[in-house]
Amino acid sequence: MGIVSLLAAEAMMTWWSMKRYMFNTVSMVVVMYVIFIGMFWGVKSIAGPGMQEGSLDSMVVGYVLWMSAMFALQGTGGIVLEESQRGTLEQLYLSPLGSEPIFLSKAILATLFNFFFITVLLYSAMLTTGRYHSVNLPYFYGMLLLSLLSLNGIGFMLGGIGLIHKRINAVYGILSFGMIGLMLLPVYPFTPYSLLPFLAGARTINSQITGNASFPLWWYLYIAANSGFYLGVGILVFRLFEKRARKLNKLGQY
Amino acid sequence: MGIIEVEGLRKTYGNLVAVDGISFEVAHGEILGILGPNGSGKTTTLKSLLGLITFDAGNVRLKGIDVARNRTGAVRYAGAILEGARNIYWYLSPEENLIYFAGIKGRSRRSVSRRIDQLLETLDLEGVRDKEVREFSSGMKQKTALACALVHDPEVLLLDEPTLGLDVETSASVRKMLRSLVRNDGKTILITSHDMSFVESVCDRVLIIRQGRIVSHETIASLRNKFSNKIYSLRIAGTGADSFAVSIGNSRQAAVEPSEDGSVQLSMRLEEPMQLLGILRDLERDGLSLLDLRVVESSLEDIFLDLMGKIWE
Repeated sequence: MGIVSLLAAEAMMTWWSMKRYMFNTVSMVVVMYVIFIGMFWGVKSIAGPGMQEGSLDSMVVGYVLWMSAMFALQGTGGIVLEESQRGTLEQLYLSPLGSEPIFLSKAILATLFNFFFITVLLYSAMLTTGRYHSVNLPYFYGMLLLSLLSLNGIGFMLGGIGLIHKRINAVYGILSFGMIGLMLLPVYPFTPYSLLPFLAGARTINSQITGNASFPLWWYLYIAANSGFYLGVGILVFRLFEKRARKLNKLGQY
Repeated sequence: MGIIEVEGLRKTYGNLVAVDGISFEVAHGEILGILGPNGSGKTTTLKSLLGLITFDAGNVRLKGIDVARNRTGAVRYAGAILEGARNIYWYLSPEENLIYFAGIKGRSRRSVSRRIDQLLETLDLEGVRDKEVREFSSGMKQKTALACALVHDPEVLLLDEPTLGLDVETSASVRKMLRSLVRNDGKTILITSHDMSFVESVCDRVLIIRQGRIVSHETIASLRNKFSNKIYSLRIAGTGADSFAVSIGNSRQAAVEPSEDGSVQLSMRLEEPMQLLGILRDLERDGLSLLDLRVVESSLEDIFLDLMGKIWE
């Protein structure tokens, strides 16, 4: 019952925050859209007519997936830093339900709320570029949520590091740009790159939307295991840093 | 058995000893104040009670629950204000803050809706329940933080510098509120503060700590009895008033200060109030007049400074 109340409170909090910072969120999506359009037409004109149609389609969907990844990465880590900066972090630690359910529910709910903006961006990008594909939305959302859990795990690790070191914005910058390159790597059928977080899920979603590709059951199970692994490791790392932060009295400091 | 029990609490940061084996208890329905200079270990002690800081040695129990072993179980019974009004969300309204903090304590919106109304009314926040906290004065922010700490109806309230940045009027209203929480709702409160007059007026007992060690642990009344110094100030006049004052001054280490009108001000400490009678008899015998007599009692601040001074010496 307590966890249901927590989820309800976090859902309300996410909604209130969205409302308060709606202008900021919308303008961020608009900027992302404009950047994408610039990038798309830039790549298209440089590559010329030789560029394959499939590559353009993948680029449209890939960009949206990359944005989702950014949102998820910023999730837990960003939340921990934000709370620390505000001075509210210690209050979250006074919850009898523990800090991890709070941070995890915050991250998942933020991802779910971000689905709205991601969907808007996906359709705007497909329609503007003329690379339209019909999207199986339940599949898209389900797969996205499942694969983004791995990045929530990375977010937990960054959040843990943030508890001690506070300013870790540079790491986000590196990961953001690094992720663009990583998402181009071949991951199916299984390669060493498939072991990295999110990549298997991202490739699957992209191929399904752009090429209506289907995958065997073991591949989906693998994606779930990959997410579970990174989430578990992320929580473990977070716990280690949290323990250290409590030892050094760093929870309330920024 | 106290609702808060601390035994041999010790916390170090490298070579620095922040808290050095302190022990105390707080009984149900009591208000304990922790006083001490900056860096004396007040906040470390308070945060250790909530498990926000892991300590090196000792036992801390909240309502009988070992904080080191079952932190989440123990904090169920506690509410806290830790960094003044920074502890709440300024971009939300008081009502939204209350709903959120109740939720993370595992309480549904429906189960606390009446309590939220009560708290907003008691704390005079009813009229601004929908306004963003960032628009509030320091006092109103502090009241909102207090409401958030109380929303899940905790038995123990831990307040770190609750009057920091508050004006005299708001500080007085917080004082009144805390007394009422103890008297009417049976809460137990632990306060750390620099505000001596606040602690003096609101607390039943005071723990004075310095460099992580307890210097004094008394009720306010016994602290006064033990350490208070009453200064007896007499203004006398007449022929030979100055030599009389000097002779008393030499025997009792009194301060003698001649006035322009020819009278003399004599200020001294007495071991027993009855000694004043002897001085007055001598005054009468020498044919001198007593123009004024005042007794000034030391405040908690004077006692605190006195105690700190003795330790430094």
